[in-house]
Amino acid sequence: MKKILIVFALIVILSVTSTSLFANGQKEKSGPAKSTVTFWLADYEGIDHDFVKQIASAFEAKYPQYKMDLVIVDWNALHDKLTTALAAGTPPDASVIGTRWLLEFMDLGAVVQPKKYVSQSTFDNIAPGAMEAKINGTLWGIPFAAGSRFMAINTSLSDKVPATMEDLEKDAIAATKNGNYGLIMPGAKHTELSDFVYYFYAAGGNFFDANGKCTVNSAAGVKALNFMLKLIDTDKVVQKGFLSQDRKQAQPIFFAGKAAYVMIGAWADTEYNKVSPSWKIKYAQIPPFAGNKPAPLIVTDSIALYKDGKNLEGIGKFIDFLYQDKWKAPLDKQMGFPPVTISASKRPEFQTPMYKAMAEANLHAKGWPLVTGWAEASSIIMDATQKAYLHQMSAKDALDWAAAAVDKARGK
Amino acid sequence: MSDSVLTVRRKGLGGEATLAYALLAPAVLLMIIFMVYPIFYVFVISLFKTDKLSRIKDFAGFSIYADLLSSKDIWIVIGRSLLWTVTAVLAKTIFGIAIALLLNVKYKGRKIARLLFIIPWASSIPISVMLWRWVLHSEFGLLNHTLKITGLMSNPPVWLGQGGTAFMACLWVDIWIGIPFMALVFLAAMQAVPQTLYEAAKIDGATRYQRFRYVTLPGISAILLIATLLSSLWTFNDFNTIYILTQGGPAGATNILITYVYQNSFEWLKWQKASALSVFTFLILSTVSIIYSRIYFKKEEM
Repeated sequence: MKKILIVFALIVILSVTSTSLFANGQKEKSGPAKSTVTFWLADYEGIDHDFVKQIASAFEAKYPQYKMDLVIVDWNALHDKLTTALAAGTPPDASVIGTRWLLEFMDLGAVVQPKKYVSQSTFDNIAPGAMEAKINGTLWGIPFAAGSRFMAINTSLSDKVPATMEDLEKDAIAATKNGNYGLIMPGAKHTELSDFVYYFYAAGGNFFDANGKCTVNSAAGVKALNFMLKLIDTDKVVQKGFLSQDRKQAQPIFFAGKAAYVMIGAWADTEYNKVSPSWKIKYAQIPPFAGNKPAPLIVTDSIALYKDGKNLEGIGKFIDFLYQDKWKAPLDKQMGFPPVTISASKRPEFQTPMYKAMAEANLHAKGWPLVTGWAEASSIIMDATQKAYLHQMSAKDALDWAAAAVDKARGK
Repeated sequence: MSDSVLTVRRKGLGGEATLAYALLAPAVLLMIIFMVYPIFYVFVISLFKTDKLSRIKDFAGFSIYADLLSSKDIWIVIGRSLLWTVTAVLAKTIFGIAIALLLNVKYKGRKIARLLFIIPWASSIPISVMLWRWVLHSEFGLLNHTLKITGLMSNPPVWLGQGGTAFMACLWVDIWIGIPFMALVFLAAMQAVPQTLYEAAKIDGATRYQRFRYVTLPGISAILLIATLLSSLWTFNDFNTIYILTQGGPAGATNILITYVYQNSFEWLKWQKASALSVFTFLILSTVSIIYSRIYFKKEEM
C-alpha cells in the first residue's frame, strides 16, 4: 500500500513539475510581458487581409507593450460568435457590429461607452451624421462604416435607368434574353433580410409601428412581396436558383456579365474591378414604386467596446491608431464604403460615380429598425418570404404569419 | 472468475484496486466536470427562464417541454432528424461495406486506391461542404454543368433552392463525407477475419455471396454495430453540412434538431427553449446508444 501511494505521489509531482517547467520555458521565451488587445473585424467583401495584418504590425511597432490580436470574422458568423463569447464572459475588447445589434447588446449590459477609452480628437474627425449609435444622447458605438444601397446596371445589357419599380420591371423584361437575366435577387438566408427590404421600403413600408407591433403584413409589404413574385414567376427576369443563393453567391452572376440590374452596396466597385470586365457599369438609385418616395436602405456598422474586455485601455489606443487616414482610408476604399471620417472623405479616391450615387441615396435613406429581437424577427420574415417564393403560402398569408410570429417572439 | 479478481474483491479497496481507482480518478473527475455537469446544467436551464446571456432567472418548471410537445414544428423537425440519420447511416454502411470489399481484394495500386478513399474524411469538413456548395451552385456549379454537357439533364434542378432537393443534396454531402470512415473501419474488421474460414467455405463449395453472408458479415458484425452507432450519433448531430449548405432553409425545409438548437440559442438567444431541445436530443441519442449496447453485449455474451 505504501509503495503504491509513493508511486502515485511521484506521478503527481512529476506532472506538476513538468507543467511548471514548461510554463517557465514559455515565459523566458516571450521576453518582457505584453498585454494582448483583441479586436474582431468583420470580413467585408473586398477587404485585403494582408493590409489588415499590416495595421496590426504597425500598431505593435508603435506600442511595443501591446500584442495585437486582430481577428477577421465572416459576417454570417459574427453575431453568433459574439453572443457566444459574451455568454461565456470572454468577448474581444472590441468588435465591428451591425449597428442594428447594438440595442440587443446594450440590453445584455455587455457594452461600454467608447468615449471613456477613445480620444476626443478621433470623435471630432467623425461626421456627426454617421453617429447612428447615439441612443438617448449617449454614443454607444463608434461609426465604422455607413453606406446606402443603390442599383448597379450592366450597360451592355441595358442602358435604361428606371425611375420607378414598374419601369424596372419593364426594363428587366427587355434585358432578359440570350441566356442573360434582367435582375439579380438573392433569396437564401443571409446576415440581413436580403432583397425584400429594398422592395418593402420602396413601397413605403415600415417593419414596426409606434407601439412596436410588427407591420410587415401592411399593404406595402404585400405589394412588395407580390411584385417580387411577379418578377420571379410571371416575368421570369430573376436568375435561376435565386432561392439557393445568398448575396455572395448571387452577385457574382452580375459581375460575370449575365444580368442587367442588381441592388447592391458599397462593395460594387471593388468587385467590378476584381473582374475587370469588358462591359461598363453604371450606378443609379433604387427606384420607389410609382407614387412613393425613394427610400433606399442605409446600413451602418459600428465598433462596440465590451464591458468584459480584458484590455479596454489598449483597444482605445488601437482605435485611435486605426482611425488615422493612413489606415482607415485605404480600408474604407477596400470595403467600398464612403469614409465616416471627415478628413478621409475629402480624398480624391472617394469622389467617384459610385460614391456620388451613395451620397445621393443617403438623402432619402432609411436604416434597419433599431429594436430588440431583430435577429429572430428578420429570420421569421425571411422564412415567410421563402414560403411565398415556394408557393407554400400566398404573399398575404405568409406576411400575416410572419407578423404574428414576430409579435409573439418579441412579446407584443 | 479468476483467483486474482476474487482476492481483490475480498480485500475491498486494498492493493491494486486502490491504485486502479487512484489512476482512474483524474479521468473520472474530468468527465464529471466536462460531460456530466454540462448535461445536468443544460437540463437545469430548461427549467428556468433566462436572460439573453443564459443567466438563470425565474423557475418555470416543465412548461417549455409542454409548449414544445404541443408544437407541430418540433415534431416535423424531430421526424426530419430521424429520417436524415437513418437514411444517411444506411447509405454510409452499404457504400462503406461495398468499398471495403473492393479495397480488401488484392490488386496492383490497392494502396493508392485506399489513400484516395480516405481523402474526403481527412479533409476539413467545413471546407469540403463549402466546396460542395459551389459544386451545387445552379449557375456556375460543376454538377449542373456536367449534367448539361453530358446531355443527362437539359434543365437540371436548383439543388439548394427547393425543400426536397435541398434535403437530398445535404444528405448526399453528409454521406460523401462519412463513407471513408465506415469503409476504413469495415476494411480493418475484414482483415481480422481469419483466411482459414474463407478457405474452408471455398472447399465446402460456398459461392462468393455465401462467403460474404456467412463468413464476412458475422466476422465484422461487432464492428458493424459500433461503427453504425458512432455514425448515427455523428450524423444526428451533423451541424456543419446543413448549416453551411442551407442554414436550415429554404423556409426551414432542411432544419434538423441540431440546427434548430443552434438557431434558438446562438442566433435568437432563447436559451431555455434551446436547452429543452438539447435534452430531447440527449434522450433520443441515449435511447439509441442503450439499444445498441444491449445488442452488442448480448452478442458478446453469446
